[in-house]
Amino acid sequence: MMSAITAAASMFPGIIFASEQEEGIPENANLDWKKGPCRFCGVGCGILVGTENGKAVAVKGDPNSSVNKGLLCVKGYHQIMCIQSKDRLTHALVKKNGTYVQTPISEALDLVASKMKETIAAHGKDSVAMYTSGQSTIPEGYIASKFMKGAIGTNNLDCNARLCMASAVTGFLTSFGADEPMGCYEDIDHADYFVTWGNNMAEMHPVLFSRMLEQKAVRGAKIIDFATRTTRSSTASDRSILFEPQTDLAVANAICYEIIKNGWVNKSFVEKHCTFSKGLTNIGYGLEDKFKFTDKPEAIDFEAYKEFLKDYSPEKVAKYSKVSVKDIKYLAAIYGDPNKKVVSYWCMGMNQHTRGTWINNLVYNIHLLTGKISKPGNGPFSLTGQPSACGTAREVGTFTHKLPHGVVTNKKDREMAARIWKVPVARIPAKPTYHATEMFRAVDRGDIKFIWTQATNPLVSLPKTSRYRPAMEKKSCFVVVSDVFPTPTSDVADVILPASWHIEKDGLYGNSERRTQHWSKMVEGPGDTTPDAWMFIEVAKRMGYGDLFPYSKENHVEEIYNEYRQFHEGAKHNMAPLEVLKKESGAIWPYVNGKSTQWRYNAKYDPACSNGEDFHFYGKPDGKAVIWQRPFEDAPEKPDQEYPFWLNTGRVVEHWHTGSMTRRIPVLHQAMPNAYVEFHPDDAKVLGIRNGENIKVTSRRGSCTLPASINERGLPTKGQVFVPFFDENMLINDVTLDSFCPISKEPDYKKCAVKVERV
Amino acid sequence: MKKRLGIISFFVAIFIAFIVIWNYSYQVGLEEAYTPVIETPTGNFIPSESGAFRRFDDAGLDYFNMPVDEDHQRSLATYYNHRAYPGAPPSIPHPVAKERSFGGNTCIQCHQNGGFVAKFDAYAPITPHPEMVNCRQCHVTKNTNTTFKDFNFSKPKPPEVGLGANNALVGSPPMIPHQLQMRESCISCHGGPSAPKEIIVSHPERINCRQCHLPKTNAQPNVDTSTFLRQFDQLNEK
Repeated sequence: MMSAITAAASMFPGIIFASEQEEGIPENANLDWKKGPCRFCGVGCGILVGTENGKAVAVKGDPNSSVNKGLLCVKGYHQIMCIQSKDRLTHALVKKNGTYVQTPISEALDLVASKMKETIAAHGKDSVAMYTSGQSTIPEGYIASKFMKGAIGTNNLDCNARLCMASAVTGFLTSFGADEPMGCYEDIDHADYFVTWGNNMAEMHPVLFSRMLEQKAVRGAKIIDFATRTTRSSTASDRSILFEPQTDLAVANAICYEIIKNGWVNKSFVEKHCTFSKGLTNIGYGLEDKFKFTDKPEAIDFEAYKEFLKDYSPEKVAKYSKVSVKDIKYLAAIYGDPNKKVVSYWCMGMNQHTRGTWINNLVYNIHLLTGKISKPGNGPFSLTGQPSACGTAREVGTFTHKLPHGVVTNKKDREMAARIWKVPVARIPAKPTYHATEMFRAVDRGDIKFIWTQATNPLVSLPKTSRYRPAMEKKSCFVVVSDVFPTPTSDVADVILPASWHIEKDGLYGNSERRTQHWSKMVEGPGDTTPDAWMFIEVAKRMGYGDLFPYSKENHVEEIYNEYRQFHEGAKHNMAPLEVLKKESGAIWPYVNGKSTQWRYNAKYDPACSNGEDFHFYGKPDGKAVIWQRPFEDAPEKPDQEYPFWLNTGRVVEHWHTGSMTRRIPVLHQAMPNAYVEFHPDDAKVLGIRNGENIKVTSRRGSCTLPASINERGLPTKGQVFVPFFDENMLINDVTLDSFCPISKEPDYKKCAVKVERV
Repeated sequence: MKKRLGIISFFVAIFIAFIVIWNYSYQVGLEEAYTPVIETPTGNFIPSESGAFRRFDDAGLDYFNMPVDEDHQRSLATYYNHRAYPGAPPSIPHPVAKERSFGGNTCIQCHQNGGFVAKFDAYAPITPHPEMVNCRQCHVTKNTNTTFKDFNFSKPKPPEVGLGANNALVGSPPMIPHQLQMRESCISCHGGPSAPKEIIVSHPERINCRQCHLPKTNAQPNVDTSTFLRQFDQLNEK
């Protein structure tokens, strides 16, 4: 091992991490190191887990991984500590007369299967639902899809990635016709400018941010932070530009206005590779149950687009965005300079947005107009928050409208799925049913009578949990929760199933840069813990679908992955074979002729390009990317007299999402024991609020009491408060609004109106 | 006469202009003085986290390539000797040039960017907060070894450092065992030739220190974090 590390260190100069850590490990320690991807965010760092006597005792960065080159963040280094938590779910628990009774897993699965069967018999297929996760492995997501859509025959399958990535997906599909970024992390090594859109990378994607800081120090690359809150990322960047919530739409259009006005348009690129479109406007916010929306795209020409942009001159936009004319022109000049390479990064700021699809389109517009796309160091890059939001949720398609290849509404895609799954085509319904928010509304209405959640904690992470918690507690719905630890969601479960954690099973994850990564089981899980995929298979067998799931317990991950790969055959999406993934620290799809494709749509790098030009946006039938005319529209709820503050929610470097894992890691809990509400010092002064005082944050939906934090981790703009959502004791999502982007159905957690008072 | 009319009307015009301007400026002078407040979007507040990356942005400090001069390294013992307690501002261990001098033109000359000082045969420690130039508001010289009265103050023990002292797992990044106020810029003390040899960082190029190293605090939060909202424990079969 040591020699491999030394070799790697010489391959990546400046990367001394693994050897550095090696020195910190006592010489007599007899550790066995096994590779895998990190359990937490979508960056997908390679980790090496040290095991000793069957227990995981240490973690270090994988020097062979081109993602992180041996570096991790504090969550990554300590991740294995959570499985030693004493309240680990080790056995199935069935609720009997209000208390949980320890039950053998086979009996619990019998109960789940019979409940599912009974419910379907009494209320039809669409009365059962499954809610999975961007943390499910690829085989787990695949089996969930096959089980629900192929075996049972319902589209009642959605996942928590709807809450974080759906707008990125619809953004990619509307602009390019194919999901996921065109570039890769290597862009960092080439770019001159990094523009981060509402994205605190120093805390949320720290390893990538470190790579950016390294480029800043070594090559003088510049970081521009465009956000609504001053954060650690702002202080590390070369320029911090703050804007009024929701006005990113207007600023993006203003940048395009300036690009066109100053003649910075890459004319040949736009003529050859782009078309212009507009869609419907005033599209609503999805606040009412059973909200429906379908966009009606309409082709327009460049002149019409130019005319539309006249409303977005920097002078006009500066008035309501609170971004100065100078700053808008500065941003436009960065994108407009033909000699500078620019990468735009974003995550939840743009995706969790009632116009999430639009703002994704608008940032693509900037890159398309200037031709800064699909080239090393040039491109828009949508980051993900979950380890397999791309690999599982998006590629396998654990959404109501998706299939492993394509969508349920497309006959050809249904036929393909039916062929590979060996089921009649008619069994796969052609109509999507519930997206995440609507699924829990249906539970509330009593339309869904059985729900099974896996690797997710919706009663902390959904917006407006003040409605959905009582909904899940209702007797009308039978709730099954598969998880590793008890959570507020498992509290309302009728059956709790003990899941294997990350390194206690084989698995595959797919990260933000289309990289698929495999790991083998490293340690035994305690008690009756079982991989999620295997629990699905066992229930499917008990329901009489055994012939569709002919996998072996020992080898099911490999068998399922090989079956799944058939869906993506071809130069546009070929997945690397398992032998390659076992050997290497991941491979980027399309994996063609034994090679990862780092930059899609660029004929120099992408073998799927077939139009003879330099670029080919083959996702669209005409091979051209779409520049969208999308206007600025207001947020559904804005601060007013009664509720005078914007509420923004987010994360901190110490905790990951709802904290069910990271809060059980002592190092992380001690550094960040509880949530807080951040104020701008001026607002705090006016309200007479001191640091640490308990503050009640109230919206029209609910309230939450937290200690005040004034100029500590972050500094929200005046008139805004910020609360991290990891703390299950201070449920800020009781306060948030369940409005969503009508196109992507992704909720907006970043904007609603609240009032604050001392308690 | 006619000849002089021109010159007279010229002087009259100048006189009228003088009266007008003088009146105008008198009136303006009566208005209340007003200095426009230029507001930055953060409202003129410096974010508390801003110190973390500061020293990396300073021109001329190439932490990545600073050599380590083993003959002139400081030790943690001397580092704490100059402090009344861990976390106290260090006293000035050397004679100062001028009593009436101001940080900006004396102390900062050596302590902003460091460097070898032949006179003291040592590297000047780099300050984590070079923007605060009234140095001797906190840092004082030591002019006597006596005390005014005997006293009982016992210096708390500094936090332990070294292999395993602050790590949660074998080989995991050590936690920060000290407070961060006034010391947000990690690299000032943990990098460069003036860093105490026990705490010098091997990877200064990483910059975003607190991505991996978190403060290890014993402070109790003022809210109860031990009981969870979750009812699981009560619901569980006894």
